[in-house]
Amino acid sequence: MTRPFWRKWEETRKRGNGRSGGPAEVPISSFPHFLISLFLVAAAAAGQPPRDLPPLPEKLPGWIRNTDRNHIFYRRGRYNFDVYNVPKLARDLNAVAVGHAMAYEDLVTGKAGQLETKTFGRIDRVLKNPPRFMPDEAAISPTFGRRYGVLEQVFDWTHILHAQTVDVLASKQLTEPEKDREIERLWKFYFESVPYAVTPLPMNMEFLDGQPYSAAFRKKHPKVNGLFWGYHWLQGAMYDMLYRASAEDQRAAYEVIGEQYHKTELYRTDRPFMPMFAEVSPIFAARFPHIANAFDNLHMLHDLVNDILASEWITDKQKDDQITRAIWLLSAAAHRGEAPGRRRQEAGGSKQEGLHDHRHFLGVPGMGMMTGMTPELMWMPRMGWMSMADCHHCSMPLWDGEDWWRNPTVTAGGWSMRVRCPLCARDMSAETKGRSLLRIPTEKPDRIVFVVSDDAGNLKTSTPGVVFLENEGSHTGCDEWSRAFSSLAAFAAYVKANPKLAGAKALSFEDWAKREGRKPDTYVKPKGPSENPYEHRGHQR
Amino acid sequence: MKGIGVWVCASLAVLGGAAPAGAADHNNVDAHRPLSFDDADSLAFREQAFELGLNLAWPRKRPLGLGMDFEYLYGFAMNSHASLGFEPSTGGRAGDPDTGFDLGSVALGLFHNFNREHRGAPAFSVRGDAYFPTGREAKGVAFRLRGIASRQAGYGRLHLNVDLNGNPGARKEERQIHPGVVLGYSRPIGYPVHFHTTGLAELSVRAGEDRGTGPVIGVGVGMRRQVGVRSVLDVGLQSDVAASRGAPRDHLRLVVGYSTGF
Repeated sequence: MTRPFWRKWEETRKRGNGRSGGPAEVPISSFPHFLISLFLVAAAAAGQPPRDLPPLPEKLPGWIRNTDRNHIFYRRGRYNFDVYNVPKLARDLNAVAVGHAMAYEDLVTGKAGQLETKTFGRIDRVLKNPPRFMPDEAAISPTFGRRYGVLEQVFDWTHILHAQTVDVLASKQLTEPEKDREIERLWKFYFESVPYAVTPLPMNMEFLDGQPYSAAFRKKHPKVNGLFWGYHWLQGAMYDMLYRASAEDQRAAYEVIGEQYHKTELYRTDRPFMPMFAEVSPIFAARFPHIANAFDNLHMLHDLVNDILASEWITDKQKDDQITRAIWLLSAAAHRGEAPGRRRQEAGGSKQEGLHDHRHFLGVPGMGMMTGMTPELMWMPRMGWMSMADCHHCSMPLWDGEDWWRNPTVTAGGWSMRVRCPLCARDMSAETKGRSLLRIPTEKPDRIVFVVSDDAGNLKTSTPGVVFLENEGSHTGCDEWSRAFSSLAAFAAYVKANPKLAGAKALSFEDWAKREGRKPDTYVKPKGPSENPYEHRGHQR
Repeated sequence: MKGIGVWVCASLAVLGGAAPAGAADHNNVDAHRPLSFDDADSLAFREQAFELGLNLAWPRKRPLGLGMDFEYLYGFAMNSHASLGFEPSTGGRAGDPDTGFDLGSVALGLFHNFNREHRGAPAFSVRGDAYFPTGREAKGVAFRLRGIASRQAGYGRLHLNVDLNGNPGARKEERQIHPGVVLGYSRPIGYPVHFHTTGLAELSVRAGEDRGTGPVIGVGVGMRRQVGVRSVLDVGLQSDVAASRGAPRDHLRLVVGYSTGF
């Protein structure tokens, strides 16, 4: 077996006591700690920021300080650059690269003060006039790259995974099963080619967003942060839009997604937290939870870096150390031997315990735990508390296990929800304002009906020959009496196999689209442990 | 005329000869595409590229000449690539009285990047090329060693190339070893509105090919423009503006090329 090139980095280096400056950590029960806490409270009250930063781990792998260039080409494939089959999406993704790079360069060249004005204006201009080709980020942010070269390697390498998975999904040559297999190969290629892959485990976002510098960037630069989170929204939302969709459906769906992105998501400054992948592409996240987690973790690494760079009270040397630490926290190497759904208990209850908490929401292995939430209940702005394992329209359990693909989704107003049946999707869409996108599986896993709803609630699809069953009864059985089929023959076969549906009529898309179901008899609004888990969150002491 | 093909080839190498580097991105600068300097970036690991070019030269006291160059590059290892190229030409060539068609030498090259640019340190690379005598009257295997340093200068980059050219098959009146230096500059054009073009400029000094001749000073300007997702069109204009003690030189050289990576 070939020895990976990066073995030379495998040696670890010992770094003294590993501290990056500031007061030493002390046992939580000690009297000195009490005095330090008292000082910090007093300092915070006087408007002075604290100076205690988490130390660098004592042993760090050699690669984390490498000075090599390490460019690796895309995994070879006939699908490469097929994102251009959805031209508007391709160009918007090109613009995303520019935005990140411009902001980073200004942050490290003493221009942070103009981030909300001049920099925002420059970025916004590019977002409104996206480039034809993917720009070279390194040329836009040369100072940033020179200073944080390893971070750039992590970003670039994970961005390649982003780009290639999208290319596969946008390919017109690969079949749907081939796409699934190729995405797994891409993951393997990503994960095994370098030592600095981002961890695929769900991470505790409350821990990661609870660092001494957390939220500094979003507080100081809300408009630019809004752009960053808008990019991350798009980079998540595009997956369900592309997954198992025809080229025609992909382009039609991007009319809805792209409009939402340009008109709303880029300019939102009211998000309490970054968009999570499984919030906006729950189907892809259910199929590839490791990839969903890696992208969330990449985006969290972006947030950590933004917050570190925006914290003026941190010295340049400390910033370097904290960015190195952030890379380590999100690296696969830091979590070897750990498993999704588990929480490694640290001896003596370490402050780092949250770092090894890989629990996820019930039914959503592709999303780590978030601030103030429980595995059973998740909170979303404007939506409140919800069980991610249940239908968001009728509260009945969603499809899972081998049937994970059977859940329809509704995408509207920046969110994406899984529901249990086509009726739930249609009626939930009707209850929402603005345009929406419905993704309704048929009896075939690779045949999805994409439906676009306009502002007035009129539904359209480009899928020919699709028929629906809607024999409305209690929602305890909506997974049986509400279904979509790719053909009349498939409908007939299903009805024949289910005698209690004997006599059910096949509905054309037009007939089905005009219907409206009764209010689900099973709906229950979940109640969470608080009204809004982010309401009283103090990110910066 | 012994070994003149190899010598011409070696000279051209100093001017931007059979040398590739970098991916098919307008910001990555390869020798010959269109000027004579390389940046310190190698091809990405496992990347392949084809680079094709045409050049129209007006050598001093010679008729116009037309040259072509073809290059295949492969990133065979991390931060390293290999290249294979050849450069047929016809018509006038600086330092060569012959105007017939010449297949030129076949060049095999290796490029390795030692480090990226970090903090105050430039990116450093080295490349070596061997020129096999497949052209007219060619003799012996010529070579070139090139050290490359690239460093950020504002939004642009400076590239220093230091060359050592060797020609064991040189005639008595020709130098067996002759050095050269190229200082190149590349800068993206159109930021922050456009992101597809890079402007290039260079200043070079090389020892004359024949014993007793003085140095040749060259200048050049050029542009690389992204025309496809993985393809770049380039155009450049070079001139040997000064030469002492009768060193052969080109008044003007127009270069047009196309690169594609895959």
